[in-house]
Amino acid sequence: MMQFTEAPPHPLHHMTSFSNLTMNKSHLRRTRPWPGFPTSKSLGSLGDANCMEQLLVHCANAIESNDATLAQQILWVLNNTAPPDGDSNQRLTCGFLRALIARAARSGSCKMLAAMANAHSHLAMDTHKFSVIELASFVDLTPWHRFGFTAANATILEAVEGYAVIHIVDLSLTHCMQIPTLIDAIANRHEVPPLVKLTVASAIEDVPPKLDLSYEELGSKLVNFARSKNVRMEFRVSPSSYKDGFANLIEQLRVQHLVYAESGEALVINCHMMLHYIPEETLVAIPCTNSSPYPFEYSSTTSSFRTIFLKALRSLDPTIVILVDEDADLTSNSVQCRLRSAFNYLWIPYDTMDTFLPRGSKQRQWYEADICWKIENVIAQEGLQRVERLETKSQWVQRMRNADFRGISFGEDAISEVKTMLDEHAAGWGLKKEDEDLVLTWKGHNVVFATAWVPA
Amino acid sequence: MPVDLDNSSTASGEASVSSSGNQSQPPKPTAKKKRNLPGMPDPDAEVIALSPKTLMATNRFVCEICNKGFQRDQNLQLHRRGHNLPWKLRQRSSKEVKKRVYVCPEPSCVHHDPSRALGDLTGIKKHFCRKHGEKKWKCDKCSKKYAVQSDWKAHSKICGTREYKCDCGTLFSRRDSFITHRAFCDALAEESARAQTQNQALVNPNKESDPNNQAVDSSPPAPPPAPAQPQPQAQAPPAPPRPTGVMSSVLPNKNPELPENPPQILEEAPATTGLNGSCSSTTSSSGNGSTSCSVFASLFASSTASASMQTPQTPAFTDLIRAMAPPDPPTDLARPSSTESISLCLSTNPGSSMFGNAGQERRQYTAPPQPAMSATALLQKAAQMGAAATNASFLRGFGIVSSTSSSGQQDGLHWSQRQVEPENSSVAAGLGLGHCDGGSGLKELMMGTPSVFGPKQTTLDFLGLGMAAGGSPSSGLSALITSIGSGLDVAAAAAAAASYGGAEFSGKDIGRNS
Repeated sequence: MMQFTEAPPHPLHHMTSFSNLTMNKSHLRRTRPWPGFPTSKSLGSLGDANCMEQLLVHCANAIESNDATLAQQILWVLNNTAPPDGDSNQRLTCGFLRALIARAARSGSCKMLAAMANAHSHLAMDTHKFSVIELASFVDLTPWHRFGFTAANATILEAVEGYAVIHIVDLSLTHCMQIPTLIDAIANRHEVPPLVKLTVASAIEDVPPKLDLSYEELGSKLVNFARSKNVRMEFRVSPSSYKDGFANLIEQLRVQHLVYAESGEALVINCHMMLHYIPEETLVAIPCTNSSPYPFEYSSTTSSFRTIFLKALRSLDPTIVILVDEDADLTSNSVQCRLRSAFNYLWIPYDTMDTFLPRGSKQRQWYEADICWKIENVIAQEGLQRVERLETKSQWVQRMRNADFRGISFGEDAISEVKTMLDEHAAGWGLKKEDEDLVLTWKGHNVVFATAWVPA
Repeated sequence: MPVDLDNSSTASGEASVSSSGNQSQPPKPTAKKKRNLPGMPDPDAEVIALSPKTLMATNRFVCEICNKGFQRDQNLQLHRRGHNLPWKLRQRSSKEVKKRVYVCPEPSCVHHDPSRALGDLTGIKKHFCRKHGEKKWKCDKCSKKYAVQSDWKAHSKICGTREYKCDCGTLFSRRDSFITHRAFCDALAEESARAQTQNQALVNPNKESDPNNQAVDSSPPAPPPAPAQPQPQAQAPPAPPRPTGVMSSVLPNKNPELPENPPQILEEAPATTGLNGSCSSTTSSSGNGSTSCSVFASLFASSTASASMQTPQTPAFTDLIRAMAPPDPPTDLARPSSTESISLCLSTNPGSSMFGNAGQERRQYTAPPQPAMSATALLQKAAQMGAAATNASFLRGFGIVSSTSSSGQQDGLHWSQRQVEPENSSVAAGLGLGHCDGGSGLKELMMGTPSVFGPKQTTLDFLGLGMAAGGSPSSGLSALITSIGSGLDVAAAAAAAASYGGAEFSGKDIGRNS
């Protein structure tokens, strides 16, 4: 039994009293030292983001202490400070404001808001359902996803060299958007392309971006595309959800592992911004061993699904595991901590937005709605409903090591391809190499990390 | 139950012994042959370790006439024939030739280990070049470097093509974007459907002679910017054998001699093997074979679906797939041992082009969604709800609640106009503070002195302190407050919607003033 050792607590976790807020470290971090990059249009001073963050924290405090009067006063102030069509910080604040209203309504501390939220309970569900073509161009707009795709594809390609069968398990938030380029690369690299088996988990419909196409139809398109590239491909949907750590999928893979392990099939586990949905330790402990969906030895009373999943993954002896996720910690049980953490991370998508989406465009609405969904999930939801449970790179690295994985470096090819990809986007994006891992940065701030793992 | 693989192959009248000869039978796990896969070689194979020099030597066997070099003596001998020189091919020994595998000379490489040796010389050579060699082939256009000439050639063909155009008319400046779009675009599905009907008419005659042709036949004409590379089937050297036994997805689409598998067998195969066995159904329509549709329920397929998959009509295919969908909703997590899943397992089989059209109808853009309701709108809604009875203004709606705590709406509705006004203006003062720099009022407000933000504070106290904190002699600040105040007065006086606009205006006003 191995217990996850938590990374040193976020410095912000200690900031609970009001008195020293101005001493907050976030002052330093909120300073975005990038001359020539206007961050804020109308309210240009750097103090604004801090001011808004702190008003939001005050508001969260008021809501938590059931002080409806104060909460609503601050909401009112924020509402006037942060119009939904303002600059990036204002829109970011507006997203949090909505989330706080939803939280207040849920906690019942403000009766009027509660009544209102009941009448409009669908509000949180206004995220766009993408057609597959829309989604393809959507993820293509920014390196947010492309970074992981590019780094992962290059690394996978290298790891599976020489295998005649490649089994790719794609646990991705983006509905297989990474796969076409991977197939293409496989087709170009091999004279006799290997057989590609693609397995995806089906039950992720409740998290944006949402797709208006069934996975079966999506799969048939991919198979058809692979055929056009002369790659033989099989597509399979496994009815499995992050909610129980993909227990069903793991079980299927385990059974296949018995069959295919020695037949020379490469097993590639591609985790793209998906694992952070698996419940971790701050969620109530798993009831008990008996009711755990994991049928065998991984379960133990003290492990979280996240730990169990990684151990189960390890037992499959995968050829390579790619883990790409957003580099932030949103797991705290304190809503104030999460608020700060999320505020200090999610300014990035808002800040980047102007570089690739014109104001007022449809895509921009979709993009913002998806971020707002995320904010609301982090702030307004609790328990199992709160699924946006990001962890930082160092936390994941620790988890992977605890699960007996060994990190491997990204090759020269991967790095140069990522660089080429970044050249196609705005100048604020950057690439950082930390130990073995790659980190996508925006104006020097960590955004998304990519790590590659093999069984230790 | 299907018995021996080889038997079934001969029974179906296929003379070919190619690696993809016997797809129609679900193999048993026990029938799995030892395969000599590159990267995971047969332990019996002879492991060859060449020095980097030998490995990279292209012309170890040189023709004395024309000085052309060959990697293998056999090739040289064949070449000598062209010069009418004496030649001699090594005879195959009566026993099976020992399989050779090659390790990478680089000690730090995973393929240095004999257990990960690669199966052919070209493969190891390319691997060695790509991974450990100098990248001496440089693209003139983009300066990208390649170690293997053929990689460089492939790149050169597409480099500089700054524009990729999909058949649907969409233009792309990047290959990645184009590829991703292309994969999901209906244009590809339509094109491959067209290509397949054409090809079928042309190619059917040789189908039976060489099932391997399938791969080539069914690949659609290459789209100009991203040509699909047809497999060099004819001259394919002792290619790495494919794992046809387990998961074949290449199926002769017209093969009248092939005994129809009764559905029962199809059902039994996965059921009895439990884990393994690809379950295939072949349905050739008797006449032309053009609607042949084969479905493989592979290892993954739920066994019960097999029977229904016999239906040969192509349009029904989507429905079939849907029908194959797992019966239980994905949220049902209490199925620890369930291995049910769906498999779409198609490859070069021409009959399956209708797949591409599956999503067409659903592909329509959905109606543009309502823009996300803003926080402002939410608050407005709240205000409207609270104030609906008396048609109070937005601001009053808010003032009411905040000043009466959570005691309920009814009290709040009695709040009078004149009480609202001073309060609002003072809130505005607080707001103003937030925007003058961090120097005076902002700091104090933001520092959250308990007396300001204390949870027990009443509204008016809070606002009063806020005023006090902001009461600095800054003229800019007072001007700001005035401007906000007036803006809010307007707001308070007006009716719900209009007044909201006023409030927002004041908010913007602040922005400009600061």
